[in-house]
Amino acid sequence: MAAEADIAVRLDGVTKHFGDTVALKDAWLKVQRGELLTLLGPSGCGKTTLLNLVAGFLSADAGELFIEGALVTDVPTAERDIGMIFQSYALFPHMSVAANIAYGLKTRHIARDEIARRVREAIALMKLGGLEARKPRQLSGGQQQRVALARALVIRPKVLLMDEPFSALDKNLRQSMQVEVKEIQRRLGVTTIFVTHDQSEALSLSDRIAVMSDGRILQIGTPQEVYRAPADRFVASFIGEVTVLRGKLAQIEGDTAVVALGASRVSVAAAPLSGVSISSAVDLFVRPEQLRIVGDRGAITATVTAHIYQGGHVDLYADSSGAIGRVLVRVPGEAALHAPVGAAVGIAPAPSGAVAFPAGD
Amino acid sequence: MQRRPFLGLFVTPAGVTALVLAAALFAVLQYSVRAQIPGSLEVGGFTLENFAAMLRPLYGRVFLTTLMLCVATAAISLVAGYPLAYALVHAKRRSVKSLILVTVVTPLFLGEVVRTYSWIVVLGNNGFINSALLKLHLIAAPLELLFTVTGVTIALVHVTLPVVVIMLAAALAHIDPNYRKAAMSLGAGPARAFLTVTLPLSAPGIIAGFTTAFAWTFSAFATPQLIGGGKVNMISNLVYQLGFANFNFPFAASLSVAALALTLLALWVLRRATRPFEQLGQH
Amino acid sequence: MRRRPATLHRLAGRALVVLLLGFLILPAAVVAIAAFNERALLAFPPQGFSLRWFTKAFDYRDFQIGWHNGAIVMLAASSLAVVVGTGFAFVLDRYRFVGRGLIETLLLAPLVVPHFTVGLGFLLLAAQVGLMRGFTVVIACHVVLVLPFVLRSVYISLRNLDRRLELAAESLGARPARVLFTVTLPLLVPGIVSGFLFAAILSFNEFTASLFVTAQRTQTLPVAMYNYVREYADPTMAAMSLIFILATTVLLTLANAVFGLGKVLNVDDGR
Repeated sequence: MAAEADIAVRLDGVTKHFGDTVALKDAWLKVQRGELLTLLGPSGCGKTTLLNLVAGFLSADAGELFIEGALVTDVPTAERDIGMIFQSYALFPHMSVAANIAYGLKTRHIARDEIARRVREAIALMKLGGLEARKPRQLSGGQQQRVALARALVIRPKVLLMDEPFSALDKNLRQSMQVEVKEIQRRLGVTTIFVTHDQSEALSLSDRIAVMSDGRILQIGTPQEVYRAPADRFVASFIGEVTVLRGKLAQIEGDTAVVALGASRVSVAAAPLSGVSISSAVDLFVRPEQLRIVGDRGAITATVTAHIYQGGHVDLYADSSGAIGRVLVRVPGEAALHAPVGAAVGIAPAPSGAVAFPAGD
Repeated sequence: MQRRPFLGLFVTPAGVTALVLAAALFAVLQYSVRAQIPGSLEVGGFTLENFAAMLRPLYGRVFLTTLMLCVATAAISLVAGYPLAYALVHAKRRSVKSLILVTVVTPLFLGEVVRTYSWIVVLGNNGFINSALLKLHLIAAPLELLFTVTGVTIALVHVTLPVVVIMLAAALAHIDPNYRKAAMSLGAGPARAFLTVTLPLSAPGIIAGFTTAFAWTFSAFATPQLIGGGKVNMISNLVYQLGFANFNFPFAASLSVAALALTLLALWVLRRATRPFEQLGQH
Repeated sequence: MRRRPATLHRLAGRALVVLLLGFLILPAAVVAIAAFNERALLAFPPQGFSLRWFTKAFDYRDFQIGWHNGAIVMLAASSLAVVVGTGFAFVLDRYRFVGRGLIETLLLAPLVVPHFTVGLGFLLLAAQVGLMRGFTVVIACHVVLVLPFVLRSVYISLRNLDRRLELAAESLGARPARVLFTVTLPLLVPGIVSGFLFAAILSFNEFTASLFVTAQRTQTLPVAMYNYVREYADPTMAAMSLIFILATTVLLTLANAVFGLGKVLNVDDGR
């Protein structure tokens, strides 16, 4: 259990309505000092609402909000000592790069030469040398991104809030910015709350992820925990690729259960299946890398429809009749040669690693 | 070669209209350099007399009054219009927005005569302001508001205020709300955020508003005519007087030409002076 | 539900706005009340209550002629302005051609050139070509004065038009004329209609230039009202003004409800 002093941001039962819709229902969250916590979920899940509540742009209808131990529920944004990165960066178009970065220092009434020194530091840190006098519209997307970061970090905020900052960048730039931000965040040790709908981004960046849906936080855990041991069906489907296979609960022993799928037997955690009787249907959530192409005695028979070459491996898509539909199997290059497009193959789950939940629709 | 269907069809009427306007303006120019034949509508030969006559101090004063009124009206409209524009853009409820918009826009459509006349009822010795102040015993004798520069200015501001509010509101509405949020997130209170972010970014609107108010006031006629009552004269009133009271159309024409030159000069100066501020608002 | 405490500066801001709105309404309100005065004085507050000035306003011959003339000029000028303006806005939005800048400058000139100069110009031009001061001159003058507003309104609509819709029509086999009538113009209707309304209201209320170009028999309503005020000081004008104010307010409220004035005037933030 983390000590109170190490909790940078705390939400106690925070709720927010917009008219009749409840955007955030009774949220309880503790963000540890220095960690990068990602709020992940589809649009409308409440992640941006939560971020805006922490920022102070919205006021909570119920619950309390703490930043570094201090109650801030009714404190205006300007006094919360936060740093914010907007999706569109919101760099002041009428100010130079240097003036943008200096803005937060000016509002804190810091001495002029100290401001100059810190701005220089920030520019060096974010590799913006030579661009001090430029206006935002004269910068590339990546440069604007860095100015936004410099502006928010130079004030040494108690928490850094990032609202889908990379969604406007192209793929390569996005990946390099992700790495850069992670490095800076780690080096400065600044507590960061990051909002995104992109689960692969969340998995690569975060110390912990809070998966949200429909105004609720469904699970908070490390990327490994969330990927390997999702708390419910939604989290299991949202994170990574997944194929849902219907099997039967064969046995339960302690905290392990066995699911039968045709000839295959898969071991899963028993916890999500509490209350389910033996021989009743359960849904097995299998990741692409946990499926194998086997002879013709696999649990599923399917016809290969496409090979998508991914460099290190091949994503093999196959259509099976019945409820399962399309299956994605991640196979090494050589294995794909034995399962060309059009061939009928058998697919079986690996004996362990999957997750099972009670049968849904 | 690119196809351009309808080009001829659509340009011709516009071209004809433009030509007619050009002809009308040219007529003014022509008359301005012709001599007046007193007592007749005919005009004499070519002369620059009219322009020379304009240099007399009597007319100089009218030019000065006009300029002063234009600048004062534009400035006051701007200061009064900004809070209204801001309220209009940031009002949360649709009904409030509609109320402000209709209230602001209605005076625009009432027409000069109705508007000016209403102000006479307000400003007159027996009018609203004086009656109210007398009843409340705040003054002993009625204030002279009609036939003064003050009265004319008040009425002129009432005319240009709507237009300024609309231009400012248009500029304010197009400022990304995230800029203000960014300023707040960096520690700026509402006043600071306004002064350092919103105000500079609304610069184009401010410039457009001032320029328009200036140009409109220059064109004002009924207001100075009825409220000024002959004591406060703008160029427009002089042109009318000379034309219809004295039938001195050539001189009226030359005054118009001078007035137009003055307006264009003033607008050009405004443009140059505000160019650096225009850059501020680019986003 | 919790609320942020109302700050002093927010209340002061509201008070200021109310004050300014009051300033805008003041003349209308005062005139409205003065119109009911019993006595034949232009005084405030009114003494006694009477509707006789309204009757007088309706019966006054010159006002009736003024309404009639004004309506004719308004309809003719607005319609012409819409036809000319829509066509020109179209070519302005899409083509480059000889004289484009010149024509545009000239057509937008009335925004800068004082109305008394335009009025004087048309008066003198009519004299030069030997045209009597009839409706032709007045209508021509009004067209020129309201055209910039029509032009602007239609142009904005054009700029907001998604060209791909026209391209789609073309790809389906429609020739330019068909595209124009079945796709472009229908989509421009809001801009055209609001341009027409603007032009109509401005033309009907136009005074300064009309004073120069109208004669006794072509007098529009504002000119008739001006002449009345010069001679008589009774509340008849107040009654007229109130009628005007009511009619305008009703029209504008309707226009706002139907079109959303905010969009037309470009003050909506598009949210």
